[in-house]
Amino acid sequence: MRLFLLAVLWVHLASSVLPMGAFFMLVLAGYSRISTARQWDQTVVAWSRLLVLVAIGSGIGWLLLRTAGFENRLQAALEPRAVWHAVLDTWPGLVWLARHGLLVVLTAFLAMRANVADKRDWIAARGEALALAALALVLMSGSSHAAAITPGTALAVAVDATHLLGTGVWVGALMPLALLLRAASRGAGADARPYAVRAARRFSGAALIAMLLLMASGVMNALVQIESLAALVGTTHGRLLLAKLAVLVPILGLALMNRTRILPALSGSAGRAAMRRLAAFVGVEAGLALVLLALAGAMTLSTPARHDPPVWPFPFRLSLEILTDVPATRWRAWLGSQLAVVGLVVLIASFLVSRPRALMRAGALALVATGAGVGLLPLVVDAYPTTYRRPPLTYHATSIASGMAVYREHCAACHGATGAGGETSAPPPLTSPSTSRRHAGELFWLVTHGIPQRGMPGFAERLGEAQRWDVINFIRALGAAEGSKTLEGQVELDRAWLVAPDVSISVGPLAPGVLRDYRGRRMVLLVLYTLPASRPRLIELARTYDVLSVTGVEVIAVPTHRAADAIRELGASPPVLFPVVTDGERDIVATYGMFAPGAHAEFLIDRQGYIRAIWRAGGGGIQAQVEKLNEEKAPAPFPDDHVH
Amino acid sequence: MNMGRLVMPVWQVILVLNLTLAVGLGLGYAGWGRRAEALDREFEAARAQVERLERERQACTTGARAGQQQWEGRGVVRAIYPQLLVITHEEIRGLLPARTTSFRAVSPTFHESVQVGDPIRFSLRGTVVDDAAVVAVELW
Repeated sequence: MRLFLLAVLWVHLASSVLPMGAFFMLVLAGYSRISTARQWDQTVVAWSRLLVLVAIGSGIGWLLLRTAGFENRLQAALEPRAVWHAVLDTWPGLVWLARHGLLVVLTAFLAMRANVADKRDWIAARGEALALAALALVLMSGSSHAAAITPGTALAVAVDATHLLGTGVWVGALMPLALLLRAASRGAGADARPYAVRAARRFSGAALIAMLLLMASGVMNALVQIESLAALVGTTHGRLLLAKLAVLVPILGLALMNRTRILPALSGSAGRAAMRRLAAFVGVEAGLALVLLALAGAMTLSTPARHDPPVWPFPFRLSLEILTDVPATRWRAWLGSQLAVVGLVVLIASFLVSRPRALMRAGALALVATGAGVGLLPLVVDAYPTTYRRPPLTYHATSIASGMAVYREHCAACHGATGAGGETSAPPPLTSPSTSRRHAGELFWLVTHGIPQRGMPGFAERLGEAQRWDVINFIRALGAAEGSKTLEGQVELDRAWLVAPDVSISVGPLAPGVLRDYRGRRMVLLVLYTLPASRPRLIELARTYDVLSVTGVEVIAVPTHRAADAIRELGASPPVLFPVVTDGERDIVATYGMFAPGAHAEFLIDRQGYIRAIWRAGGGGIQAQVEKLNEEKAPAPFPDDHVH
Repeated sequence: MNMGRLVMPVWQVILVLNLTLAVGLGLGYAGWGRRAEALDREFEAARAQVERLERERQACTTGARAGQQQWEGRGVVRAIYPQLLVITHEEIRGLLPARTTSFRAVSPTFHESVQVGDPIRFSLRGTVVDDAAVVAVELW
């Protein structure tokens, strides 16, 4: 089914691209009275007429298949109501309607065999056909992956439209050009040779611009849809793009040879032979371009790389963090980078001198290779298929607390309760910076499959996938808690690094909110309290709540004990008006207790979602810290919701 | 008669057709498109009006003055004063987002029927936020 869908899409894409390029080539070559040129014009128009019909037919096929896909049953493709609904009630359906409306108008226009012997008539007729075909092609971007990007939809669609237009100009024009060159290279077509040479030269210039536009828009598309190297090599979408690039290389090689070698030879003595060769090469280029369209179609059908978990295909990756963890690698990296830089300088210099170029280039490449070997090899670390997987669970107290329970049951025996190592075995501490810097996906692989050579078992059988991610969230929190020991009741300006785990805030039976909702709006003073010891402090907070509130702070109180009656327990006088968590307090206390294990603790969380100060026993002097945060000029970016 | 002179050349036909299309689309949007947007706005306003009238009708059946509306809310009592109730509440449709608000209490007997920490359903009556007062309270 998927293959059939791809075949239909490919036919539709090709039959939409080719007529646009064909009319572009006609307009580019210009009006001519020469009989061979007129014949070529007629042939191209006849083929385009047929292709537009194919585009409409395959477009209808595509719509029916998509309807079946939307409705999730094959027979829906034959139900007028379902098809009607897919066309009129969905955005891609409306785009389809607009495009096919234009294609129908184009068909009608091409079916009218008007007399275009006059130059102005000819230009108007071909220009009109070009405009209609181009519009029908460009509208395709309105329902592509680009249209699903927010924010910045307009820019993404414009980039995609440019890509389609470039494709139309370049891919579509190749075949008609090959036809013209072949016709002109024949004995009977001698009259059209200057016309064909001029057309080939004009196309060469236009194709260069189209190719640059294609590359620029392609890179911008890839940056938005693929985002990372892991997604490029680890997802179907990314690999299809690599395949596209692989096909593009020989095309560019051919284009370069055509432009630099054959094109200048067209007007020489061996012009006819050169023309025949050019026709053949352009034909090959057109064939390869059709393969590109098939790959582009497959990319349209695949999930965009940014939504697909990447599967890292290599057993290694480069890690710059090694430079921090193993100081001895620094000088090697430095030496390697310098060698590579010298190599690059020599390589550039080789283009500027006349001799001995080959020797210089060989030396330069050897230097770059040696530099890479010396500098990069120490940065190589083990990697696993899941290294770049993003955790499906957010860094939330509920997940961390579940992870803590799983850890105590399955991991603490070897790793110790605090992650520092057990009594009988001494694995590397989980709280060390090097563990904290490991990718979450890497930890996921190690927890799932174990490290047999070090005696760590795999937990794929014993723990569900969500439980394994919970443990990873907990391990992250362990590392963060270890690092947070130095953090106290004084805000350090412009140093936000400790991400506040998200928590659910349930007050009575009201719909619960989350800590993350305060991001970008208010600071939060999270207070873990135990009665009766915390009562004086809570009374103080209740009395100063209005001042804190006006200066941008929300106070959220979390009891360290069973909390259903927490609000009533606090009493009516003085009135406590800030949110008091009455449900789910256990997870919050377990998680935030890792940072401050006492009976009363306060955490000042800034507007970006970072913990900036911790009071481990009681609180006080909060107002001064709040003012400091309010004076901060460049707040840190919002932290990721998932650990990585 | 020579018909050839009366027939427009193809390029002129195309030009006229394209102009017609462009002007048609432009005027079509200027007229129909903008009208559709205006209708959408009117529809939203009408819906808000209907909701308002419904609240006024509800207020009327419980003996309110003309022009007063009635809103329903759910929340947790946070503080009680003789003339005031402080409630942490969910969104009150057509009046307030979820937050903690102090409302005037019409009946001074409320403070006898509820306690701090009680989850409640409550009715508000008034013309705007500032004069909305709690007129009924029951345990949630």
